[in-house]
Amino acid sequence: MHQNSFTIISSLNKTILLTLISFILLTTGCEQQKTTPVAGGVAQLSGKLNITGSSTIAPLAAELAAIFESKNPQLRINVQTGGSSRGLADIRQGVSDIGMVSRKLKTEENDIQAHLLANDGISIIVHKDNPITSLTEEQIKSIYLGKIKNWKSLNGVDKKITVINKAEGRSTLEVFLHFFKLKNVNIKPDVIIGDNEQGVKLVSRNRYAIAYVSIGTAEYNIKSGTTIKALPLDGVEATTEKLASGEFPLSRELNFVTKNKPSPLAQAFLDYSRSNEARKTIEEFGFVPIK
Amino acid sequence: MNALPTNNNLADTLLKIASWASGIFIVLFFGYLLFDITVNGFSRIDFSFFYESPVNAGRQGGIAPMLISTLLILILCLCISLPIGIASAIYLAEYTNEKQWFSRFIRRCLNIISGVPSIVMGLFGYAFFVIALKLGFSLLSGALTLAAMVLPLLIRSIEDSLRAIPQSYRLNAHALGLSQWRMIFQILLPMASQGILLAVILSIGRAMAETAALLYTSGYVMRTPDSIMDSGRSLSVHIFDLSMNVPGGEPSAYASALTLIVLLLIINTITAYISRIIKNRSIK
Repeated sequence: MHQNSFTIISSLNKTILLTLISFILLTTGCEQQKTTPVAGGVAQLSGKLNITGSSTIAPLAAELAAIFESKNPQLRINVQTGGSSRGLADIRQGVSDIGMVSRKLKTEENDIQAHLLANDGISIIVHKDNPITSLTEEQIKSIYLGKIKNWKSLNGVDKKITVINKAEGRSTLEVFLHFFKLKNVNIKPDVIIGDNEQGVKLVSRNRYAIAYVSIGTAEYNIKSGTTIKALPLDGVEATTEKLASGEFPLSRELNFVTKNKPSPLAQAFLDYSRSNEARKTIEEFGFVPIK
Repeated sequence: MNALPTNNNLADTLLKIASWASGIFIVLFFGYLLFDITVNGFSRIDFSFFYESPVNAGRQGGIAPMLISTLLILILCLCISLPIGIASAIYLAEYTNEKQWFSRFIRRCLNIISGVPSIVMGLFGYAFFVIALKLGFSLLSGALTLAAMVLPLLIRSIEDSLRAIPQSYRLNAHALGLSQWRMIFQILLPMASQGILLAVILSIGRAMAETAALLYTSGYVMRTPDSIMDSGRSLSVHIFDLSMNVPGGEPSAYASALTLIVLLLIINTITAYISRIIKNRSIK
């Protein structure tokens, strides 16, 4: 028994050792690759750029970063998510180079520089089978304040309204509250959600729910056949077209932010994100690029 | 069970029905989950899905970088947690008794750690490994955070399997004049190897499913990592982002989830196979 168990231990040891060695070889091998210069005609950027913040912008920023990296193979852009508040905190602490904030900067945030990337609208969504075709600002306000609790009083079906609100720290919430002049403590939600897609999923499965999500998200889902519809606001349809023309009232800014003047590297990426080429990518994500 | 004479009263019948129903419920639940994920995810998977990089935030393209990051995080996490786990379990099972204050203190700590929500663990990992130790968003930070999360599970189950070894083995070893070292490494650990591997399987499952703790430590970057100091997105974070933040990301999310489950099944099968080999060898 001793003999046998001894061989087991040593073979286990060997496996672990082998794994470790191959692992070290793997990592150092890649390290070497990194230092080999890449031949290129144009002067290429190199270095590392950290971008953190809003989960609404993060997938778009990651995609822009991937395209920009492929043009500059020596450049590494790391995009991290976590919300607009985190984006602001990280650039204040110097943890990141560029922050992502999906709202307009407040006047007291004047230590921060904003670089507008795109606009995003917020649309009120209900289930496709809900007979309601439009709501006034006042009605939406009353629903969220819990004064209207049943669709019947809005000439709908006799069913209780499921009110879906966004979680604290989400800029969609802040923009929504600001537009309807509401305070979050007064809102009587049935469900509190984090991300846009979560709102779409809930409403598409609940005929009597109401929520507000990014216009791009809503439009994409409506086009691909999800059972939701976006309600017009002040008689203006909730589409990216109406948002681009400036007619749709409930909109928000998507900003890249920096603490001081951006570094040359950060500036190069910011310039790229406003280029004509980047516009296409931004539109693919359902946002409206700046003119 | 059949050999035992049974008193067929109502309570027995009810118990039987209840336990059968629970068993069937679990199988149905897992079956439905697997069915749903397969139906929605399978059409999105082709061979290139496994070796291509994601395109368009993951709506098109593959998941190769995520697979690599996930496996690297997993290997790193086990390299860190397994030695510490085995050593702590040996200490708890062989060097102290259950009533001693320090071992009770360790157990109390482990119980608390295992009850900490993973998002809190993630924030701890962010504050400690990423910021304070300046490891940055990296596979290493993620692996360290995960290691801290799986340690309680690892230590407690290894300790249990060490304690399950009859005391007579230890007494005999001492009577034969074996050193503590040889007794532990040549008798006790091989005998406990099945339990250790089971603990490893459970830890792998927990580590691969973890999302919240990794979002803030190993990060969100979709590129293939160059080294363990690079940020890399794990499969679970990828699934989370596709289903929560990317409009139209659902098919890819399902496909990635299917990959994750199949990967887990493969790893579990391999570990079970290794465990059988070890068992057969040590029985001889």
